[in-house]
Amino acid sequence: MESDVSIHCNACPAMGSAPLTGKSFAVQHNISVRGWRTEAGTSALKGFVAVENATIVDRLRKADATIVAIDGMSELGFGPDGNAATAVLLQGRADMVLMTDMMGEARITAARTGIFAFKPTHGIVSRYGWIGLAPSMECCSLLARTPQEMACVMGVMAGEDERDFSLYRGEMPDFTSGARNARLIRKIGVARMPLSALSKGEAGAFRKALDRLGAMGLEVRDVDIADQDLFSVVHRVIGSVEASSSCGRYDGVRYGYRTAASMKNWNDMYLQSRGESFGMPLKAYLFQGAYFQFKNYAAFENAARIRARLVHNLEDLLTQVDVLISPTRRGAALKCPNKTVDDIYDECALTLSANVTGLPAVQIPGYVMDGDADLGLQVIGPRLSDARLLSLAVSLSHGT
Amino acid sequence: MEQEAVIGLEIHVELNCATKMFCDCPNDTSDDPNRNTCPICLWFPGAIPRFSAEALEKAALTALGLNCTLQPLSAFDQKVYYYPDLPKGYQLSQAHLPLARNGWLDIVGENGQTKRLRIQKIHMEEDVAKLVHETEERTPISLVDFNRAGVPLIEIVTEPDIKSPYEAMEFVRTLRTQIRYIGTAEGSLEAGTMRMDANISLRPKGTDQLNTKVEVKNMNSIRHVGDAIGHEISRQAAELAKGEPIVLHTRLWDPVKNETVAMRGKFEGPCVPDPAVPPIVLTEAWRNEMQMKLPEMPSVKAERFVGQYRLTREEALMMSAERDLSEYFEAVVQQNVSPRTAAHWIATQLLPAMRERDQGFADMPIPPMRLAGLLAMLEKDEINANATRDVLARLFETEQSPDQIIERYGFRQVSDTNALAALVESVLEANPSAVNDYRNGIAKAAGFLIGQAMQASKGKANPKRIKEILTNKLA
Repeated sequence: MESDVSIHCNACPAMGSAPLTGKSFAVQHNISVRGWRTEAGTSALKGFVAVENATIVDRLRKADATIVAIDGMSELGFGPDGNAATAVLLQGRADMVLMTDMMGEARITAARTGIFAFKPTHGIVSRYGWIGLAPSMECCSLLARTPQEMACVMGVMAGEDERDFSLYRGEMPDFTSGARNARLIRKIGVARMPLSALSKGEAGAFRKALDRLGAMGLEVRDVDIADQDLFSVVHRVIGSVEASSSCGRYDGVRYGYRTAASMKNWNDMYLQSRGESFGMPLKAYLFQGAYFQFKNYAAFENAARIRARLVHNLEDLLTQVDVLISPTRRGAALKCPNKTVDDIYDECALTLSANVTGLPAVQIPGYVMDGDADLGLQVIGPRLSDARLLSLAVSLSHGT
Repeated sequence: MEQEAVIGLEIHVELNCATKMFCDCPNDTSDDPNRNTCPICLWFPGAIPRFSAEALEKAALTALGLNCTLQPLSAFDQKVYYYPDLPKGYQLSQAHLPLARNGWLDIVGENGQTKRLRIQKIHMEEDVAKLVHETEERTPISLVDFNRAGVPLIEIVTEPDIKSPYEAMEFVRTLRTQIRYIGTAEGSLEAGTMRMDANISLRPKGTDQLNTKVEVKNMNSIRHVGDAIGHEISRQAAELAKGEPIVLHTRLWDPVKNETVAMRGKFEGPCVPDPAVPPIVLTEAWRNEMQMKLPEMPSVKAERFVGQYRLTREEALMMSAERDLSEYFEAVVQQNVSPRTAAHWIATQLLPAMRERDQGFADMPIPPMRLAGLLAMLEKDEINANATRDVLARLFETEQSPDQIIERYGFRQVSDTNALAALVESVLEANPSAVNDYRNGIAKAAGFLIGQAMQASKGKANPKRIKEILTNKLA
């Protein structure tokens, strides 16, 4: 559909040899571009127009890229719904897409349509101007038809930002190092556990992919991830609490949606406006977060403690193998995705560990094929191994 | 059974930073409503708080000045509640890991002895917006001014060491002096840059039972603090006497009716670690640097004044009581005025004159140089004490130098021996009976004769010289 996409050209004239001259980026409505409608897929922000640019928009424009807006996204980016985004890519109306990845949305969207996606290490790309839900889980991710350009874009987007104090302040990955990086990845770890959750067909598809990787000279090893089953619940407790806090600002007082109904007092105005603003399943998710905030803080504290342990476990494992791999998504099992919070978490079961731990992950198409369905190959690397992962994606895309 | 009060204070102090705590907006609440706002302090979607280094530094200095220990690790939490003065449904505050702990302040207790009151912790937080309730035609409306949203605050939480309204007032007074010394805050209850809540409970005297506390708010002066706590103690005692239980709640002090009024059940919202503001790690080097930046505090300064300037303990305490006063005193002394003369004249003449005129050191027309000039003439016997008082009063009214005033009004002291001898001679002649008394050893007579001579000189004679001449003549 042509009508679901509105394209805005860069106002800046081309500067010739800038790194992204001639490249176009599609963004969803949760990224602030000054003067553009920025509703982030929620009625809470109906009619909201951004008053300033997100840092990454500034950076992309400075590198001479064109920004294109896509209509249609899941509410505040909660749950994979990137159909409009991938349509723009597949029709060639943009070279790449920027999408929030809070529990794997970008990787899963890419896997569904057989394209590449990259989620960087948490804290190397500025979140300023990005409207999200769970700051400690989400980051800006890239979708692309080919992986070659992603490293170049990461080089433009990553790095310190005086507007985002929470960014990593040490040395950034060297995104210019190119293919020589890929050779640094030799040992590939495969977690035993999630495979048992796959159907027979899915498991077979993944095993074939492993054989192919082995044939390419990579050493494939079975590993155990301790407490693997806890990733999802930890994500859910912490993510929902952060989402509940993040959405506190949508109160109808300063901007955004306010109920048309006449209310007795501000408290009723709040309840009514917020009640009308949020749709399912986000509303259920916010209720869950408020439950942990107000009624069961001990559970949140436990989740935070377990999270630290899970991060430690995975980082430790990544000193024994260079990367961890799994399919990116489950297959056809999910007939009606995104109806409930449970559905969303089921769909993201294989991707959300990278969000809980903040580790970088790349989705590679064409390797895990269950018949016609591409489940995607997900590769998770150690913190700040972003450049190596992208190089691996390039070499795997050549099938060599 | 006799009851005793257990009182703890929670005091919010606005730091005098140039900007707000998490954005670059000016820290000025007096501007037109909503002028000092930006996407961050209005919490637009996508905005990320950026913690101000100045706020951290001023909070740390204040904590050190209040004898607290800075914590190597502190962090911001979200204090979750929904209210229109809070633009994002939570307030950034340090609930779990405060900036500083374990401080104290010494006050002068009711028995005149020093009493040490402990500070449990000091944490940083952002202020909320200001609500203005009005009526439009007949509809009540609430307006929100976000100029105050995000203004840097510290909250000082005491241990429940305070036993009486007097001690609470002394604590606040001492705290205010310390904070003004440190220079990080205005600390005015009246202007609302310092706001306090008191937690009050009663228990049978001599026990360490913990009873239900009641929180009292809205005390806009030190006197109100004493009155409100006094009233609340009597109220609770009366309830207990009637056998009524004390319920945890918040009361507002009403200074007009002179009573506390129940406001609401005390609401404690959850506090969740904030994922956007990174934890604050203070290195030992940085903490030492802050310690170096801390100005000399009043008790240390008083010690120094005794040692360096040979002031008495009382003089030293007085001259070090306020930072601007102590700096004024030292500036006068640096002009080669003897320290005790400077302290005496500042305490007995300058300060009362300033109070009378309702002036502070900032808007007072007598800089240290001018006062030093006057006192130097006094010390050189060019004018006497009476004339010094007169000249000082005139210094407030004119821009002329002490020298010019003395010349113009003829205050210069007469020390010329011949002129004074003639004056004394005429006084002796006019008062033969006093001369007789003097010769008969009645000591009072000397004072009378000197007084007569001073009067005859219209106060301009040098009293020391008069005494010398008189003694010689009658010897």
